Order: sequence, then C-alpha cells, then structure tokens
Amino acid sequence: MSRVPYHELKARERIAAIVDPGSFSEIIPPPERVMSAYLPKLGIPVAFDDGIAIGRATIAGKPVYLAAQAGQFVGGSVGEVHSAKLVGLLKSAARDRLPCVFLVESGGVRLHEGSSGEIGIAEAIRAVFDCRAAGVPTIAVIGSDIGAYGGMGILSACCDFRLMTEHGRIGISGPIVIEKWMGKEAFDSSNRALVWKTSGGKTRFLLGDAEALVNDSTDAVRDGILSLLSRSAKPDLAFVKARQKFLQERLDTFGKTPDPDAIWAALGVRDVAAATLAEASEFVESFAPKKP
Amino acid sequence: MEKFQQSFPSKPVAWPASKKWALSGVVGSGNLEVLIEPNAAAPASVSYAVETSFPGYKDSWLAALGDFASHYAVGGTTITIHDQGASPIVITMRLRQALDLLTSAKP
Amino acid sequence: MSAQPRDLRRRNKAARISRASGLASGKLVPHERTADLLRAVIEPGDILCLEGDNQKQADFLAAQLASLDASTMRDIHLVMSCITLPEHIELFKKGMIRKVDFCYAGPQGGAVADLLASGKFPIGAIHTYNEIYARYYIDLTPRVALIAAAKADRAGNLFLAANTEETPAIVEPTAFYDGIVIAQVNEIVDVLPRIDIPTDQVDFVIGAPYPMHLTALFTRDPAAITDVQILMAMVAIQGIYKEYEVESLNHGIGFNTAAIELLLPTYGEELGLKGKICKYWMVNPLPTMIPAIESGWVETVFSVGGEVGMERYTAARPDIYFTGRDGSFHSNRPMGQLAGHYALDMFLGASLQVDIHGNSSTVSKKRITGFGGAPNMGCQPMGRRHPTKAWLKAGREANPGPGSIPGRKLVVQMVETFQAGRVPTFVESLDAQDPSIKAAMQGVAPVMIYGDDVTHLVTEEGIANLGACHTPEERTAAIRGVAGYTPVGLKRSSADTASLRERGIIKLPEDLGVSPARANRSLLAAQEIKDLVRWSGGLYDPPAQFVDW
Repeated sequence: MSRVPYHELKARERIAAIVDPGSFSEIIPPPERVMSAYLPKLGIPVAFDDGIAIGRATIAGKPVYLAAQAGQFVGGSVGEVHSAKLVGLLKSAARDRLPCVFLVESGGVRLHEGSSGEIGIAEAIRAVFDCRAAGVPTIAVIGSDIGAYGGMGILSACCDFRLMTEHGRIGISGPIVIEKWMGKEAFDSSNRALVWKTSGGKTRFLLGDAEALVNDSTDAVRDGILSLLSRSAKPDLAFVKARQKFLQERLDTFGKTPDPDAIWAALGVRDVAAATLAEASEFVESFAPKKP
Repeated sequence: MEKFQQSFPSKPVAWPASKKWALSGVVGSGNLEVLIEPNAAAPASVSYAVETSFPGYKDSWLAALGDFASHYAVGGTTITIHDQGASPIVITMRLRQALDLLTSAKP
Repeated sequence: MSAQPRDLRRRNKAARISRASGLASGKLVPHERTADLLRAVIEPGDILCLEGDNQKQADFLAAQLASLDASTMRDIHLVMSCITLPEHIELFKKGMIRKVDFCYAGPQGGAVADLLASGKFPIGAIHTYNEIYARYYIDLTPRVALIAAAKADRAGNLFLAANTEETPAIVEPTAFYDGIVIAQVNEIVDVLPRIDIPTDQVDFVIGAPYPMHLTALFTRDPAAITDVQILMAMVAIQGIYKEYEVESLNHGIGFNTAAIELLLPTYGEELGLKGKICKYWMVNPLPTMIPAIESGWVETVFSVGGEVGMERYTAARPDIYFTGRDGSFHSNRPMGQLAGHYALDMFLGASLQVDIHGNSSTVSKKRITGFGGAPNMGCQPMGRRHPTKAWLKAGREANPGPGSIPGRKLVVQMVETFQAGRVPTFVESLDAQDPSIKAAMQGVAPVMIYGDDVTHLVTEEGIANLGACHTPEERTAAIRGVAGYTPVGLKRSSADTASLRERGIIKLPEDLGVSPARANRSLLAAQEIKDLVRWSGGLYDPPAQFVDW
C-alpha cells in the first residue's frame, strides 16, 4: 500500500515525481526574480516564482509544457506575474504544438492585485481556447486538498480534460462563501464529508465533470496524464451546444436533489458507504456505472 | 517588513556542476523559502539576505544563520530568504533542506 | 483477658450493607436509588476510590456522588488515578474532600490549579499509576470503591470488555480488606461473554442510564503530523532505534511517536530494519500502529487500556493483541505499567518543559496536570536483571562503577525546542520548582522524569546522548547543544558543542545519515484517518469526530 501521495507533495515535488528524471527545464526560474510588484506594498512577502513553476519536460519520453501551482503561497492565487507565466506557457504550447499540463492548486484570482489578476486569468482562458482551436491538448490535474476554485476552477473547466483524485475539488465559490450566502442549513462548510461529496473528484467523475479519476499517487497521476496526452476536443459550436444540452439535462435531473449521496444512488452507485471509502481505482472499477 | 543582510565565514561549499541553484520551502504562514545561489567571488563566506513579514526577531535569525554557517560548508554562496513568520525550528530545517537539495544526487 | 474484637472492619461493612438492604435486589440496585445507596454505605472520613483513568470513567457514579450534600458526604479522603470530569471538581468545590491522592489531572489541570490557589485542593501526593495501586494495599486501601464495567450478570459477575484498565487493581484490595465495591454497568445480561471480576468481589451493581464515559485518548490524526515531527522521527529511528536495536518499547502519547509508527513501513523498511526492531510493544491499541502491524513489523502488543474504535480490529488480530476466551480485547493497566518498567528496552515520550539538568515536568502554576505513567516508564529499573542488546549497550555508555547495575533502559525525551506560541520548552528552572507549588506538595517539586534517568534527548536539532555524559556540566552542555534558539540554547558555548559533537554525544541529522529534504509528510505510510481505515481492511471504526468522509 506504499505509494507517494500526490496531494501531500508541494508544487516542485509534484513536477519532479511526474516527469522523466532531469527532464524539467524551468522557464523564468527563481533566480530571475520575476516577482509580484503588488505584494510588497501590502507588507506580504513575495515568492521567487510568484507561486507557480513553469517549464518544459518529458513524461515517458513525450514532451509537454507543464505548470505547477503552490497552494500555500497566498492560496495559490493568480496575480499578474503568475497569470503572465500561465499565458506565456499556453502560447508556447500552441506555437510548438505540445500538450499543456496544469498541476492545479489555486483558489482563483489574487484579490490583492486588483484587476491585474482578473485580466490575467481572462487572458489565460483565452490562451486555453487558442490551444484547443489548434488541436493542442490542455489537461488540468486537480488532486490537491485546496482544489481548483474561482477563476482557476473556470480555467480548469475550459481545458480539454480534467484529471482528478478523490482529494481534488473543483468549483467556483468556496464552501465558506456558499455557507455565508445560503446559510448553514443549506451548506455546512465545516462538514468535510459534505464539501468533498459536493465538489470532490469522485462526484465530479460521476457527474461527467472530470474525464478521469485516479488514485492519489504520483504514478497513477502520471499514467492518467499519459492516457490523455494525445487527445484534444475542438470546441466548435456543435461541441459547445452538445455540452450545454448535457448540462441542462443534468440540471433538470438533479437541480432539486438535496444531497450528494442521493445523486450517487440515482447515478447507479449501489453501496454508497463502501464507494465513499473505496480508493479511486476500485471506485471506477466496482462502484461507478460504466461509461459508454 | 524587515530586511537585513549579513555575511558569515563558512567552509567552502562543494558546488555540484550539474546545478545552478537550489530552492527549499514555500512562502506561507509560519513558513519561508530559501534560495541558494553560487557566489564564486567570496569562497570562504556565506552571504544572507533576509526579508521577513515578522519584524523583531533579528537576534534569533542571526543566531540560526550563524550556526548554519559554522555547522555546514556553505562558503561561496548567497542565500536569499523570504519569510512569513517561521519559527527558528522551521528556519533551520529549510536551510538544511536547501543544502540537501543542492548536494544530493537527484537532479 | 478481655475479648477484644479483631474484626471491626468486617462488622462495619456488614452494618453499611444492612443500611442499604432496602435498596438492592440481590446485588442489583436501580439507578434511581444510587444517591440513596451512596448515602447509606459511605461514612465521613472514608477513603473513597472513584474509578477513572484518563480513558474510562465511572461517570454516572461520579455525578451521583457530586449531587450529594456536603453535610452527609464530608471529610472524604479521595484516592483516584485521574481527575478528568467536571463532577470530580464539584466534589472539591462542595468541600467534601479532606485530602486527595491522585496521578493525573490533564483535562482538569486548570481547574485543579484554581482550586489549589484558593486552598480547596488538599493534596496528599501526586503519584505514578503503579505507585497508587501499590498504596491501595498499604495505607490507602479504599473503604468504598466506585467502579465501571461493561456488563454484569444478575449474580453480580462483571465483564470489562476491552477497557479492563485499572478495575481489578481497585477491586482486589478493596474486596479483600472488607471494603465495599459498587459497579456501574452499561448493561445487565443473563450470560456474560467472559467473567473478568467474580461476584465475590462485588457488593452492588447498578445498570447506569447511559454508557460509561470513554475517551478516544490515544487516537492521533496523521493529518496533523508536521514536517518537523517527521524529521525528528527519522533522527530517532536512525540514531536510537537502529543504533541500539530496540526490540521492545513503549511510546508515550503524541504526534512525534505517531510519526515514528507511521514511518516504520516506509523509512524503516528502506533501512532494512523490519524484524530487527519494534517487535514487542506495550502501548494502547493505537490506530497509527495499523500500517506497521499489517506490514509485519509487530510480534505482540500489550495494552494498559483499550481505544475507542479499535474493537473489531484487535479482535481480528489475536496473534498480535491479548484477547480473552470470548475473542475480545483485554487490557490491564498495572500489569502494562509493570511490563513498561521491567520488560522494555525503551520508553520514548514528550514533555512540556525540560530544565538544564534534564528534569522534565508538565506542571505549571496555571495547570496542575500530574504525571500519569511517565515516572514509572521513564525511570531506570534498578531491579532488572535480564540483559538485552539495547540494555547492555546503553549500560556500557553510562560507564557504571563496580557498585552499579551494568545495564540501562533507554529513556528518551523527544521535544521540539519551542511549544506553540514560541514558548520555549527548555528552561533554566522548571515551573514545577515554583515555591508555591512545592509548598502544596510537602516541599517536593512535582518532577515527572528526572534527568539522571534520561539517556537521550531528541529535538529538531538532533540527539543528545545524556546517558554518555559523565559529569553534570557535560550533561548541561549537551542539553544546551540541542536546545536550539531558546534562551537556554543561546547560552551554549560553541567550543563545548563542537567537542560534544566530535565525541558523538551530540548528533545532528546529517551525522546520522538523515536527509532533511526527505522530511515531509509523503514519507508517512498513512496521511489521514481514512488511510488507516483502508490499511485495516475496514476493521477500524474511527469515532465520529475523526470521520471526515
């Protein structure tokens, strides 16, 4: 049962565990000191890489562009420099026609930097669509407890694929915000089980928001990335309309369902308690309904 | 924010040819990041630059940085630190981790 | 010669029982009549024992006792292991207690300190567990003992289930010296799974209206283990477990020890130590032991008590744990403590304060916590005679003289140099040495473990081998050498520290081959409670507060 747990690793450790040894060549590495101009004015310490490491690497010999966010640095939030690195990476991927993989760990826009972060994420999302229009695969790996929220949740949803683990979560408003607006009875943000059942990897996989669900190990994540590298879905009008139809049907079916366990049962999960405890591979194999 | 610089004598580092820098830690609450870069101009001393959002602990910092310089061979390096309130325990650990990452065989 | 009665206690017991005769049917008393029973059988001046160690509590009986009037219940000499419940504190507030002898007050440490400051806590002494159990046979024999059991049958036999703990230690001396034993039970049944205490030793049984209080005291969530604790665990494994070939051991409660347990299947395996160390354990059935047990590290575990949630797992592992004929878990506090004293290579535990002589204590003016089992586990067993590799090696390092025992138990204190809030662990003088505290304890400061007994001190700086220090000055220098950037540590002389490091008395992580960059949580065999459940094949049932899925 020993394995290297992806969710425990820090950004640079995740990169090192996934890529071929020695193959990661960092773009704008820490010594170049391209850092936030805003945080010092607020008395907040800066990070050499502004919370994101980007570069080129190979995974099982296949070249990719790769980014890993450091969720511990201002919540992994996207500021001006951070977003510029994301945009530059995506543009390089489109130019070189190489897949772009994001190891996501972010709460979204860095509010400290005002509109710079908002604009930056918007530019990054446009760059994702440029990649997709060019048939260059974009993959969001969401396997950390912090998850992909806010603008990074949106960006992740815009990628070709989302690879998740049971630890990962994707959403826009975080649990505390939801509770604040809707009340504790509607959503108790201190109930970890509820929070993960609502936005976590297993539920997202069942609902069709995540294309792949893998065990929380760096080996499983690497294999998962490899299986998605050669595919890209061009977001033409037909594609978008089909997706919107799917989402509307899903909303019609589950819009009034009060709890995630009921959704799981309705989707065909027979033993919800066992499925909750099962590891991802067992979940996909034995509990989730087979995908067509 | 408090910023200061200080150099200490230290035995010369065995800088591996394959590396250009090493980074340990992350800037976050109670944590810090440590960047080690080569400084061939001063092989027998280590030069520290510290930025911390928790002012008032300079004596404690200097004690930890001085001990690190005397226990380990880091002469000929510059060590830059961004700190967000790490305790001396975590500071010492991150320094050791940065040196370990620099000198270990892993790329 | 006048006929002087020689059986006064027996006659007095009979009188008490007869005062209670209207209340009981056989030995069974309805729970609504508990207060009446206590009033009938307890007399002013009695030595009264309330069962409660830090896990299991006779809380219904405690509440009933606390509800009595101080005019009927007075002048009581209270003897008990652990003062844990608000009801216990109530007894003092009501002025019922003439004197108290106990071992530990953890959860009520603050309340006890307040009572002490206002003169309402008349301490006899703070003991270690086996010490107070021993005195139950000498000068502290309970006249009335209020205990807790899982089940009783209608004849009054008792079943203790997984949490045997100290019940027999209280019952035996009381029963055999004409005291009265009153048991609260969760359930009264026709047939018991097994008989742990025969009815001969029991006087009254009460089916309590709610199950006895049981705390999951030893469950540590792996999610709370920090990188620093992992570094210290790696240092301890290399510098002590491997170095001395520690085969039998006890871990005190804490996250440091949980980290060590969770590193065995990963880091320990890497070092090739399986089958060489950590085979025989005296610990509670800790959930964090599950990965090591499932990975084949452990031969046996004996426990002083149970642990909530581990009932099915322990029952399914009878090759590891001690279980009864009925198949369920068995524990025994005094015997576990005895094993901890004589039969182990090593004790490893933590403390809140350590002074420059190596003495440690958890007592301060604001919190009178007491000792628990630590003084017994963390002292040198001078009566031990059987040798093991670890005992002989540590003994050689201590360089004993011709009149001294040749072996030493490894007594290891593992502490971070700072506690929460940048409070230094290391101090020149313990809070426990404060004059007001000493005055309340007949002039003897409540030191938990004495520096003379400690062989090793582990901090995040490294290991100080105090057992190999041959003068008090050397020992103090070694302590300062690993005391980091606390005021105590900043007074170290670099020349002394360098010399001690050269002699191998101080060892830093790198001296032990520990790579600090590897000290992170991914090295743990389990990162969260859910992982432990998976390791156990679904047999571990974590209490509700630990279930977050």
